[in-house]
Amino acid sequence: MDGIHDLGGKEGYGPIPVSEGDAPFTHDWEQRMWGLAREGICPSMTIDWFRHGLELMVPGDYLTFSYFQKWATNYLMLMVDAGQITLAELERGYVLEPADPAKAKTVDQVVEQVRRACTDFSVPEDAPAHFAVGDTVRTLRQINHNHTRLPAYARDCVGEVIAHHGCHLFPDEGAHNRHVGQHLYTVSFSAQELWGDDANPRDTVTLELWESYLVPA
Amino acid sequence: MSTFDSKHAAHLHRHIHSHLPSDPALRVKALESLAVEKGLIASETVDAWVEAYSEHIGPMRGAKVVARAWVDPGFKARLLADATEAIKEFGFEGNATGHLKAVENTDTQHNMVVCTLCSCYPFSILGMSPAWYKSAAYRARAVREPRAVLAEFGVDLPEDVAVRVWDSTAELRYLVVPKRPAGTEDWDEERLAGIVTRNSMIGTDRDLSAGSV
Repeated sequence: MDGIHDLGGKEGYGPIPVSEGDAPFTHDWEQRMWGLAREGICPSMTIDWFRHGLELMVPGDYLTFSYFQKWATNYLMLMVDAGQITLAELERGYVLEPADPAKAKTVDQVVEQVRRACTDFSVPEDAPAHFAVGDTVRTLRQINHNHTRLPAYARDCVGEVIAHHGCHLFPDEGAHNRHVGQHLYTVSFSAQELWGDDANPRDTVTLELWESYLVPA
Repeated sequence: MSTFDSKHAAHLHRHIHSHLPSDPALRVKALESLAVEKGLIASETVDAWVEAYSEHIGPMRGAKVVARAWVDPGFKARLLADATEAIKEFGFEGNATGHLKAVENTDTQHNMVVCTLCSCYPFSILGMSPAWYKSAAYRARAVREPRAVLAEFGVDLPEDVAVRVWDSTAELRYLVVPKRPAGTEDWDEERLAGIVTRNSMIGTDRDLSAGSV
């Protein structure tokens, strides 16, 4: 979708907030949000449904909310959507009939849980690859209206395939709970192709792009 | 069960926007209390996650990997060939590093990593991402004017060094392997790891200093 999330190449955002420093969290509530998200409190969602949920936020909120503020709002939406909590409970702030409490985990247990979360997104398919390393490809100009991972700045542009990764979970379908694979490539674009002749001729931008985003150039 | 219905999700977002206070501390508090009351998580488990990502999982992991690549050519070859497998030698595999690629800075190429569409980041090896990485300004500008962005980080890149910006649009994640600074020839791995900055592994820092430790 042509959403507010698609920020690559947009102008007018000002300096990078380098001075905010490297601290991973600046508020307690950010830490709490991170912990809730890591534990997977909305088990029926997929990674792409989570991303699509962020994209579907009210656009003004998306631009003005901080990262974890967006996550908090998205998790509220995701859990209401999944029927885990109701809007009435959300507005009241508590549930009328609490469930049995979950068992507490230790730090060692969650560190091990991180290690086990090493997910392979390969989804082997029989379909042959249409492109190979070294091929010149053009990206589509039009994209689908739901979740997709072809950013606006790289549409209708010519690049070179520099890696083929086999078939990976296709996010446009994964956002709707359909687990299908599609060939995935790393495509390199010259900065001049993307941004015009003023760009440094040595510079490149690479993106991972699924086969259906590409046509032969 | 999630509906996976885009229109329904957008409708719920508008409802939340109109009916709930926007204060993030209140929203997270509501989320945690409801999740705890529903038996989905214990508050102590949230504490455990916070401690895990504050004390155990952070950029020191990536720094150890880079330091080993500097001293051990065999490991460096394995890291550049398949970083997902190579970091298992440290037990650092995990969240968001199932498809990790290490990219090496050279005298003629500088690598920089961004996620323009969200803020994808190799969590299990670099920990939580810094605030600037998730900012609209970095996501918007890194692909379009990487040299101006680098200048804001204090990196003055010569015109003849090519910049390659990796936009993380899929589940591949990137670890930049910075150049080993001169004057560290007799350093051991642990001492070397101490000079590898988080930003150098994202690509917004380039010339590491042997004098900084």
